[in-house]
Amino acid sequence: MFRSSRKVLILLAASMTMSGAAMAQSTTITFRFNDTEAEIRGAIDEFQRQNPDIKVDLQRIGWRDARNQFLREAAVGQGPDVVHSAQVWVKEMGDAGATLALDSLLQQSPPPNQFTDFVAQDLAKNSAGKIFGLPWTTDTWAMVYRSDLLKEAGIATLPQTWTELRQASAEIFKKTGKAGFGFPAGSSASGAIWFLATSYWWSNGKALIVAKNDGAYDLGLTAEDIAECMKYFKSFVDAGDNPKANLAASDAHDPSILQALVTGNQAIGSMPPNTYKQVLEAYATANPGKPLPFVSGPFPKGSVTRSSNIGGRMLVINAHTKYPEAAWKFVKYMSSEEVFSKFYRTQFPAQRSLLKKVDFGPELKGFAEQLEYARSWGAYASGPIPIGSLWNLAGRGFGMVLSGQRSPDEAAKELLQEVRKLMPQKS
Amino acid sequence: MRSRLFIFAMLAPSFTLLVLFYAYPIFKNLTMSFTDLSLLGMSRGGNWIGLDNYREILQSGDFGHILFNTLIWLTVTSVAIRLLMGLGMAVLLNSTALKRLRMQTIARLALLIPWATPPIVAVVIWRWLLDPQGAVNRALLGLGILDQPVAFFANVRTVWPAIVTIMVWNTVPLIALSLLSSLQSVPEELYEAAELEGANQWQAFRYITLPFLMPAILVLGLMSVFWSFNNFVYVWLATGAGPGTLTNVLATEVYIKAFVDFRLGYSSAIGMVMALVMAVFGAVYLRLVARRQLEESL
Amino acid sequence: MGGNPLRQSARDPSPLAIAAAAGLAIITLFVLVYPAVYVLIGSFRPGGGLLSQSGTFTFENYLKIFRSGFSRFVLNSVIICAAATLLSTLLSIMAAYAFSRFNFPLKRTLFTGVLFGQVFPWIVLINPLFVAFAAMHLINSYVGMILTYTAFTIPFSVYMLVGYLVTVPKSLDEAAVLDGASRWQVIWLIICPIMLPGFVATATYAFLLCWTEYLFALAFLTQTELKTLPLGLYQYFGDDNVDWGAVMAASVVTTLPVFLLFLPIQVGISPGRTVGAVK
Repeated sequence: MFRSSRKVLILLAASMTMSGAAMAQSTTITFRFNDTEAEIRGAIDEFQRQNPDIKVDLQRIGWRDARNQFLREAAVGQGPDVVHSAQVWVKEMGDAGATLALDSLLQQSPPPNQFTDFVAQDLAKNSAGKIFGLPWTTDTWAMVYRSDLLKEAGIATLPQTWTELRQASAEIFKKTGKAGFGFPAGSSASGAIWFLATSYWWSNGKALIVAKNDGAYDLGLTAEDIAECMKYFKSFVDAGDNPKANLAASDAHDPSILQALVTGNQAIGSMPPNTYKQVLEAYATANPGKPLPFVSGPFPKGSVTRSSNIGGRMLVINAHTKYPEAAWKFVKYMSSEEVFSKFYRTQFPAQRSLLKKVDFGPELKGFAEQLEYARSWGAYASGPIPIGSLWNLAGRGFGMVLSGQRSPDEAAKELLQEVRKLMPQKS
Repeated sequence: MRSRLFIFAMLAPSFTLLVLFYAYPIFKNLTMSFTDLSLLGMSRGGNWIGLDNYREILQSGDFGHILFNTLIWLTVTSVAIRLLMGLGMAVLLNSTALKRLRMQTIARLALLIPWATPPIVAVVIWRWLLDPQGAVNRALLGLGILDQPVAFFANVRTVWPAIVTIMVWNTVPLIALSLLSSLQSVPEELYEAAELEGANQWQAFRYITLPFLMPAILVLGLMSVFWSFNNFVYVWLATGAGPGTLTNVLATEVYIKAFVDFRLGYSSAIGMVMALVMAVFGAVYLRLVARRQLEESL
Repeated sequence: MGGNPLRQSARDPSPLAIAAAAGLAIITLFVLVYPAVYVLIGSFRPGGGLLSQSGTFTFENYLKIFRSGFSRFVLNSVIICAAATLLSTLLSIMAAYAFSRFNFPLKRTLFTGVLFGQVFPWIVLINPLFVAFAAMHLINSYVGMILTYTAFTIPFSVYMLVGYLVTVPKSLDEAAVLDGASRWQVIWLIICPIMLPGFVATATYAFLLCWTEYLFALAFLTQTELKTLPLGLYQYFGDDNVDWGAVMAASVVTTLPVFLLFLPIQVGISPGRTVGAVK
């Protein structure tokens, strides 16, 4: 009896150690990544290799629906642990209580380059200044050109100012009959004209929403500023060097615009780097062996500077996650230099020191240059009006003008009115 | 007594589901429409603001324009075209001529194709086909109907017909196939009797076929009206409610207010207004048009 | 069929009528099918044939989508939609039979209630349902989706079926009941054979509604292994670029199973079965 009870004790001890080891084994966290799996698979596998006690389940949702879906889930205490988020959503999600504040995690176990190395930090904070997201990737739009069409039209250097851009576009249309600056002139709620208008205003030192010294927010544009910008872009459509058909295109990656660039029916475009890469790839597939007749350049200068908005993605952690430490470990790893240099090569890291090390390659030189002039949304994001609403209103206002339904002066006044309506009323 | 039990047993399962999936969310929606609930404040809940949302809707200058778009273009035009084309296709498919050519099965299968195409693919393809360099323009130019290509989605005069085209293409098979199976259940003897009396094809159609099809046409018509009025995807994917706000309809307005401006309470109110308009329409429709046909036989 | 077979029926189509019908049919079919053929061709081209005009033929798009788990989406869609269609058609037949054959208090109200459920735009129903589903643990479950799709196809199915059933005279049922048949037997042995084309049309509608449905699937299915085909398709619409080739291939894969499922059914249901039944 004594022997068998010893056996039982040994068995008991053994099973307890084993289950103890099993409990120390895997936590499973879910990561929602909204681009293609192939881009991120290598990084995830490597993370799991380095952290055998953490398993990562990959989920995906299209960007169009990603925010609403996550807000819904967070409101009922569900959703993935780590979420791939647009930069401009982080403040809203933080305010809504959907995401975890990262300040304490950042203090306890900071990323290798420290938080200050990250770009767009202001967008990562909520209204109270607490940090709710870790900037992950960044990019900005730039101008792209068909060098062969430029040569054909006798244009020797890339246009440097908005006026030069207008002239170049008109020249190309006149001399070659092909479209000049074919920009998307459509009016969807998330249309591309917003980025172009923003670049125009910022390059002239103005902005739609500005933060005043007393902490309040106000409109930084007059009706004249808006009308001037509308007239500028309208001149392309009216003169025909931006084909009227582009009124139906709202995205920079609209297939008709991309096809025009690939087949040489359009000379100038404006887009983010991944769209540009798709153009280059499509050209290469259709013309194997030929050199790529493309060159990129920064946005035109206004009266003050050149500018564009620095876009990007952040990683946020669900406020209801059961495994905040594991999630943070994963987020930190994803921001490491190893991931960007070895696995996740399709985006640029949102850290200044890492950005300096990225080799953009000859075609993307313009994007590298533009990144130095790019600025974050700033007051647009920290202000009282959701950026989405500003984007929607601006897109529609421009759409009215570009399609000829309103005159620029009328539409500009209307836009100002609508934006003012959304500003909180002073009591 | 037994038949009462039988009736209950037949209706209960369906109605349980309907109460859970319709009555409950509709009720919640109604309560939401009296608040200023925001998408960002879902866990907090919204504040009660009474009829403010409804007042804002009626006073917004755009409401008339949006309602017009939804009623006339999105609903009346597309449903009318769908019913006519669907009827025509059904008659064609059922015709003796096609039977002779043995084209019936192929035709029925071909009808399934547009129906089974996901709306986003339908929109992408039709935008491509209606592009100035696309197949439709090339065909029209070749036939001499146009002397210049038309950018259908970019031109304020042609953008609605273009959207309606996509909707019709994607959904007319439903009408055609439904009417076809109704046509197939018309007893042959009626036609033979009519022939003996000296009726021609047109009279046979008018006095035999059409009355037989009326219940189905009325039902399909009403359902199509509801479905079109509330439809969101086609306008959203084709034009994003643009150019400007030209093609904005009620459903896209709901989407923008809910998911761009975050105003869930306000968008619920729009939803209730949409339901009200359709309910009134449905009531009038049933009373005037369908009463004789449907409720009599009920 | 009665009648003297030698007599030239006025309804025999003339050669002109046949030619006209053929011409009209071909044009109609062309318009219906051409866009889809465009997609089919595009699915074998790099970039879906949209970004360049290169004519290279490639299987890469299909390989790509299946390598990223598209076959799982097919399976999910088939299971969910088939189950929902069967359940919905069954429940709708039951309800439609009750409506078309009996009179009972509240009949008009209930019937109108079924109809008026349809007056609401679906996007407005999603948020409350999501909250309810989350509480009932029905998010990310086959059961949740099947029930959802059943519920949303019942109203139209009931209406269509009532429309079909009223064309079958009650006297048929009465006769059978007098002969000792139970109501269930009446339904399965008498009504079903007559109404088969109608039932199939209704089931087809229900199935296709579920098959291409996106809004509810998006809200209720977030785990990749459970996603349906429309979700899989939408995933190729990225933020900065769209993988057109994958979109076309995914679209073909979405449309094809519908054929394989309905080919035997459509061919099997020959017209003319209904003749003589009323006698």
